[in-house]
Amino acid sequence: MDKTTLTPEESLLLIAKTIDETKKRFEENGHIIILWGILTFTVFLSQYILVLMGLYKVFDIIWTTILFPLGAIYTFIYVRKNVKKKNLPKTIIARIIGTMGWAIGANLMILGFIFRHQLGQAIAPVFLILLALLIIITGTSIKFKPLIIGGVLLNLIGLGTFFLNMDYHGLSMMLGSVVGLIIPGILLNKAKKEHV
Amino acid sequence: MFNDLDPILHSQLRLSIVSILMTVDKANFSFIKESTKAAAGNISIQISKLQEAGYIKVEKTFRNNYPNTSVSITSKGRKAFEDYVNDLKQYINPRK
Repeated sequence: MDKTTLTPEESLLLIAKTIDETKKRFEENGHIIILWGILTFTVFLSQYILVLMGLYKVFDIIWTTILFPLGAIYTFIYVRKNVKKKNLPKTIIARIIGTMGWAIGANLMILGFIFRHQLGQAIAPVFLILLALLIIITGTSIKFKPLIIGGVLLNLIGLGTFFLNMDYHGLSMMLGSVVGLIIPGILLNKAKKEHV
Repeated sequence: MFNDLDPILHSQLRLSIVSILMTVDKANFSFIKESTKAAAGNISIQISKLQEAGYIKVEKTFRNNYPNTSVSITSKGRKAFEDYVNDLKQYINPRK
């Protein structure tokens, strides 16, 4: 790459291509989104089954001490490893998505662990709405429509959950994790593989 | 009347390096090498030229006992890039 004379068209094309290729190296491959979708689905499916079996208290142990904290540890290790492996520098977009992800994730855990009684019936809708904000921002940042649509649907499911009896909140969480996380995550993963 | 295109930026490799730096906060030498697929010697020369023009800032540090060169764009470089893109647009669409 040492051509020194460029036409204006070639220059603009080169700029667009370089910026586009650099951005694509930072794009999330959907792995973490799918992971959190499956994790959320599993946790609330287990809750639903445990409630049916009359073992509701066991759900607290699964949720607080095993699955979600494990997911957070895995996410941290995966992101660190991925950045190191690909030799990625920091971008403003990656920093915003990363910070938002950890901030919203930490708040969701604090709300779930500490303020669940204060929030009462609002815990599931608040959880879904905060998650939806993160998905919409991520989708907008990387310009991936299925993620934006998934986030908007997740937001609507969250708002709709306010009208439901608490017995059905677990089902809302499961539906939200499929519509807002698992399906857009799989589509993002597929799009990323097609690009490579 | 058309403005003359900035000769510092109007070179394929230098333009690629600056375009990368417009997207990231800071990039190390190996990232630029991977992205541009250019020879290390050539990249070094172009980085020096960009640095002399004040368009980029070069930091040389050590990471795990290995030398690590990281490069970032300066505000002068950012302004020059924006002007360059506007000049290109003038060439392509003179009426605008």
